[in-house]
Amino acid sequence: MPPAKWLMHWHPNPGATLNSQILAEACGCAESLGGTKDGRWKTSIFFYRPIARETSASGAQQQQQPPDVPRELLGVALHERPGLYFSILRTQRLVLQADAAFPQVMEKLQSYKGRVALNFEGFQYQLGDFCLRIGKCVPNNSETLRGIMMEVEYYPLSSIEKSRAIMVDFFDIWQETLAKKALPGRFIHVESNFAEFGLSDHYSYQHTAVQYAICLQQLMTAVRS
Amino acid sequence: MECVVQGIIETQHVEALEVLLQGLSGVPKERVRVHELCLKSGPNLGVVSSEVRLLCDLAQPTPSWIIRHVGGSMRGTGAEQISILVRTIVESKASNNVLRYFYTIGYKLDHEILKVGFAFRFQRGAQFTVTVTSANKMPKLHATDEAVQVTPGIQLVEITAPCTANNYPDVVSAVTSFCEFLAPLLHLSKPGNSTGIVPTAGAAAASLMSSGGAKTL
Repeated sequence: MPPAKWLMHWHPNPGATLNSQILAEACGCAESLGGTKDGRWKTSIFFYRPIARETSASGAQQQQQPPDVPRELLGVALHERPGLYFSILRTQRLVLQADAAFPQVMEKLQSYKGRVALNFEGFQYQLGDFCLRIGKCVPNNSETLRGIMMEVEYYPLSSIEKSRAIMVDFFDIWQETLAKKALPGRFIHVESNFAEFGLSDHYSYQHTAVQYAICLQQLMTAVRS
Repeated sequence: MECVVQGIIETQHVEALEVLLQGLSGVPKERVRVHELCLKSGPNLGVVSSEVRLLCDLAQPTPSWIIRHVGGSMRGTGAEQISILVRTIVESKASNNVLRYFYTIGYKLDHEILKVGFAFRFQRGAQFTVTVTSANKMPKLHATDEAVQVTPGIQLVEITAPCTANNYPDVVSAVTSFCEFLAPLLHLSKPGNSTGIVPTAGAAAASLMSSGGAKTL
């Protein structure tokens, strides 16, 4: 069973823009807390949209929107389990766990098409019983910064409920340390309602996939505002 | 990709086939009880209409789901000349909510079936899976415990072996050789090209059962 994990995203102050300096400062903060850098990581999210069938009506080609199907599927490939693949229907609160061959099945079915991919990538730090991963969110084919986020993992516990207090304490220390840098924004943790997705208190990779979907939504909202 | 052949055998000769397969493979048989759901894409979804199969082997201690897409078979003169079908297969394991997932993304249940029987999995020039099963239909949706046989006196035999675009001629050759061992009991051909039961099956089965089966080979 994987350890409990929180995902946080960077929320810029009104009018402030994202830049890689914030990422560098956050990494510096992890090191100042005694974290040791021990590698890189990358998680990817893929967006799929339904493909409407072309029908010929009165001699003209028409495209009808498929009725009652989700407008978007999210595919998540986690760095810690490359053999697994998750597909998330956000509106329907559904997370499917499959293996790495799942995108090939979707490709063969030709009913949903992969449109865009976003990568979350950065450095990993070991800090006692914690593991910190701080990274940027960038589109697959460009270096345009879409967001900054971090993962905090607490090795000794798999129960979300039992790990909550220690996660809150860690987050407080993290915010205090980062506040000294006077950066134009802050990290925010948005609690995911795992029960809505049918997930229990025991942490699993499906929980992480759901957190990435929620985090992505938050990043998009933060960028737009 | 995989190589596949199918055939049918009368239930009364299945025991002899089991003895023969046991002797040829040298591995114990595995019980199979596969619940198979065939789903089709709803109207207006996808470039073309598509089909996906969800399989769950209920005989396993912890049954789990597999998503299976059966692709087009290999075409061309070479493919027509061989008696084995070579086709693309993509499979992925999936969590237990896979049926709800496919319903939600616009797929509908076309039919479901329960295949009950046994399988031998072994290496013999290729990784073979030989399944001998009876097809059962459910009187009510997903009621696998109430399933009844579709063709009571007949069972389906299927041989599959995974292959790649590079090694399929070798795998075809291995499967062809293996089919020859089974020829007295049943005839195997490409799926959809069933050639029925073989007239020698009764005599071959009697011979196998009386002589202790595998020892004669």
